[in-house]
Amino acid sequence: MPEVTIDWYIALSVILFTIGSLGVLLRRNAIIVFMSVEMMLNSANLAFVAFARHLGDLDGQVLVFFVITVAAAEVAVGLALIVAIFRTKKSINIDEMNLLKG
Amino acid sequence: MGNPIIFLLLAIVAIGAAVGMLTSHNAVHSALYLVLNFVTIGVFYITLNAPFIAMVQITVYAGAIMVLFLFVIMLLGAEQLRGVTDVKGGERVHRAVAGLLAAVLLLASALLLFQSDAPEIAAAAIDTSPTALGLRLFAGYVFPFEVTGVLLLAAMIGVFVFSKTKKRGQDA
Amino acid sequence: MNAYSLAPLLLLFPAIGVLFNGLIGRRFVEADAKVGERWSGWFASLMAIGSFVIAVLLFLSLQANEFQAMIVPIIDWISIPSANFYIPWAIRVDTLSVTMMLVVTGVGSLIHIYAIGYMHGDPNFSRFFTYFSLFIFFMLILVSGSTYLVLFVGWEGVGLCSFLLISFWFDRTNAAGKAMNADAGRKAFIVNRVGDFGMILAMFLMFWAFRSLEFGAVFNTAVEMFEQGHVVEFGLFSAPIGTVLTAITALFLLGATGKSAQIPLYVWLPDAMAGPTPVSALIHAATMVTSGIYLIVRSNVLFELARESGPVIFGVISTPDLVAYVGAFTGLLAGLIAFTQFDIKKVLAYSTVSQLGFMIAAAGMGAYVAAMFHLVTHAFFKALLFLGSGSVIHGMEHGHHHLHEHTHDDHHGDGHHEEAPFDPQDMRTMGGLRHKMPTTFWVYLVGALALSGIPPLAGFWSKDEILAHGNEHALVVYVILAIAAVCTAFYMGRQLHMTFFGEPRHAAAEHAQESPRLMTTPLIVLAGLAIVGGLLNLPYLTQAMAEANHNHPAGIFLGLEGWLEHSIKSFELSEEGILHLPHTPIVLSPVVAGISTLLAVLALGGAFYVYRNKPETAADPDPLQKLKPLWWFRILPFETFYMKFIVPPFNWLANWLAFAVDWNFWHDFVHNNLIRDMFVSFATFLADVFDKFGVDGTVNGIGSVTKGLAGGIRRTQTGFARTYALGVFLGAVALLAYFLWVLY
Repeated sequence: MPEVTIDWYIALSVILFTIGSLGVLLRRNAIIVFMSVEMMLNSANLAFVAFARHLGDLDGQVLVFFVITVAAAEVAVGLALIVAIFRTKKSINIDEMNLLKG
Repeated sequence: MGNPIIFLLLAIVAIGAAVGMLTSHNAVHSALYLVLNFVTIGVFYITLNAPFIAMVQITVYAGAIMVLFLFVIMLLGAEQLRGVTDVKGGERVHRAVAGLLAAVLLLASALLLFQSDAPEIAAAAIDTSPTALGLRLFAGYVFPFEVTGVLLLAAMIGVFVFSKTKKRGQDA
Repeated sequence: MNAYSLAPLLLLFPAIGVLFNGLIGRRFVEADAKVGERWSGWFASLMAIGSFVIAVLLFLSLQANEFQAMIVPIIDWISIPSANFYIPWAIRVDTLSVTMMLVVTGVGSLIHIYAIGYMHGDPNFSRFFTYFSLFIFFMLILVSGSTYLVLFVGWEGVGLCSFLLISFWFDRTNAAGKAMNADAGRKAFIVNRVGDFGMILAMFLMFWAFRSLEFGAVFNTAVEMFEQGHVVEFGLFSAPIGTVLTAITALFLLGATGKSAQIPLYVWLPDAMAGPTPVSALIHAATMVTSGIYLIVRSNVLFELARESGPVIFGVISTPDLVAYVGAFTGLLAGLIAFTQFDIKKVLAYSTVSQLGFMIAAAGMGAYVAAMFHLVTHAFFKALLFLGSGSVIHGMEHGHHHLHEHTHDDHHGDGHHEEAPFDPQDMRTMGGLRHKMPTTFWVYLVGALALSGIPPLAGFWSKDEILAHGNEHALVVYVILAIAAVCTAFYMGRQLHMTFFGEPRHAAAEHAQESPRLMTTPLIVLAGLAIVGGLLNLPYLTQAMAEANHNHPAGIFLGLEGWLEHSIKSFELSEEGILHLPHTPIVLSPVVAGISTLLAVLALGGAFYVYRNKPETAADPDPLQKLKPLWWFRILPFETFYMKFIVPPFNWLANWLAFAVDWNFWHDFVHNNLIRDMFVSFATFLADVFDKFGVDGTVNGIGSVTKGLAGGIRRTQTGFARTYALGVFLGAVALLAYFLWVLY
């Protein structure tokens, strides 16, 4: 029976991060893109907590605490933005938000 | 760090939920998959001896934030995007590059992980109770904590500004 | 407080006068002619008197400080440290400069006061006094400067003032419609340029040889180099110091012949009489024209060294000897020309040239003190004579004016003399004025006798000192000067008789009136000075005083001889080098004095005999016209030579240069054909080829490349957030790959 080491958690974190980033890259629904970002943050959090456990240090968990706080603020602002955009464009298709086109 | 069978089971659930979120055409489904994913990760936190973070994960993430998501999706009626079935050439290239990059990322990480032969550190049994975490937070991170407060305030004001409906007669 | 520090005031007073009259004096005169003239004239006069007071204070300071020369700095004028070239503007207070200051400001003050009366009613009254004050200012710079360059500033400044004042009435024309006054001013200016050219060259040479222009430094270096037998290098050439000194002094002589009206450049001075009479008195008799003598006396060290270097000029003559001969011949020539003049001021002008010749000759013979002595006494009596002649002219004009009104009122009398041009300066129209203008007559008589050298008047002592020196050192010069002295007495006798004796030959002379007090008072003062001026350097007196004060000869004023001794070192060259000699005053030689007095009296008597009752009318020929050769001089030898042989070729050359070279060749050919065409073709090339293809091509090329590049890059900015996210992801993966590569 193999021992669960930190590598397992890191591997899981990487897989979740990749899936999240694929969501950001491939999905066109702004809300799902947003959710993918949340998942990437979560994978990072998982890595932090795993390291905290591995190193026997509480600082990793403190950092996760801050990340969650920032993520909450980000979600609040981001969803408000999406609502505002939807009001003007009647769509949350991220490909239609191309005002930056050069 | 726990039972490998439990870890593998949970990992499969987490990855499956993630893939489900990625592939669902209905945004509500995606959000529910994500909730499952977050809960699973909360269980991982418990196995990693981080009870406070696990509780925050469940209440803030899986609870508050995801409710917010669902609320917005349903408010806007944006379960599905309209008329996005066509996949053009540019989109194919985009997808191919993204997939390739994801593959490279996974491969490189796997390479790193399999190559690492770092010995296990005998983790000292530390106190990870919420009390210890709070003491640590206020002992060493008072200033970032205060800044976080300001950040939340700013976010709150920002949300007010964005969601304020324009009065009639006021353009742009 | 040290009186020396007052020295800058010497220059400040006339400068204030210039500013006052130049800026606001005119307003005063225009507002109220009578009061304004008084303000304008007296302000200028008071400034001149102020300078005189300062000069007296400097004189007393020198007495109190054992005649030590003092340099009073004003500002650093030119300062080039890298070339070690410093020209300070400083006032040199020594016995020589103070002598000149006293003459300039003293005589100048009297003439200022006289001019208030003489210029009365002139519309440009304040302009006249502006120039007058400016002249005093520059003349004081000339005599007070401590370097040759500052001296030259004054030298040019007085030349400018001379030009301005000669052509003061520049709008006056003669019968032929020529602007004679303006022409005379130009002539003076141009002739003086020739001399100034010599001055400039001399200063160049001097700076090259001695690396300084400061009097003391130059003299010390010159003596030192002369003792060492130094050879001066001029690039490829080199010359012994004696030759260089000879060249410098010869060029100084050229400058002096210009300013002091000597052969060959004297021709401007007689014409300069076109200016107002106070100008003739101050500038063209008493002060400015003596600056050439001042220059030679100031540079006495250089001239004495040139004398020691022997006959360098063409191997025939040394500079000081040349100076002496130039002076002597000028004295004689001008004396002869004076016989033939009818204009009362022209006679005096040639007399001035002649007397300046005496001074130059004295300086050339090494009798510097005698030259300065004659300079001072000449300033007294020649200023007196000029002012007297001005008084006569003033009286004649007054008489003519009176006559005009008289005939006009009564409608009788012969009208034809009204139409004939009347010249108030023509002596033939005068005669018998001694009854009409008694004060003028008496002072004029004093001046004429002083000039003729009748003892015990001032002119006798000074002229005799020169003659005695010539008798002892240079017999030829002595003989020439003695003849010139006889001429002097004769033409003064002629002038006296034609002007004041006999019967009036013109109605204007009958109605002539004495001049106002304002004019006669300075005349009386000057007459007093002309009588007692000889006391300044009375031979027996100075010798006796020197003997009496043998123990402290420097302690008190010993006459000019002992006074100037502190500025004019006498020395001679011996085997051991330069030996400084004690100054030995010339003692009056009874034989020389007796002969010259006898000759002068005879000449005066002869003149009165020849003119005893002639000419009877204004149209009568002059008795001397029987002496044909003498009248050849009337055609003005050098003037004729210049007008015939120098001016026409010069004009031709100037015309040729102007029309052929400048206009046809330079403008038409060089400018139009060469420069313009080349420029145009070059410009065409630049515009059509270089600009169109080169500059425009480059600029447009850069523009289109940038545009194309931007067009290409622009396409990467799709505006799709996911594309950007892909870019970010690519960066992240690349970083990871990089870490991986670094690790393994």
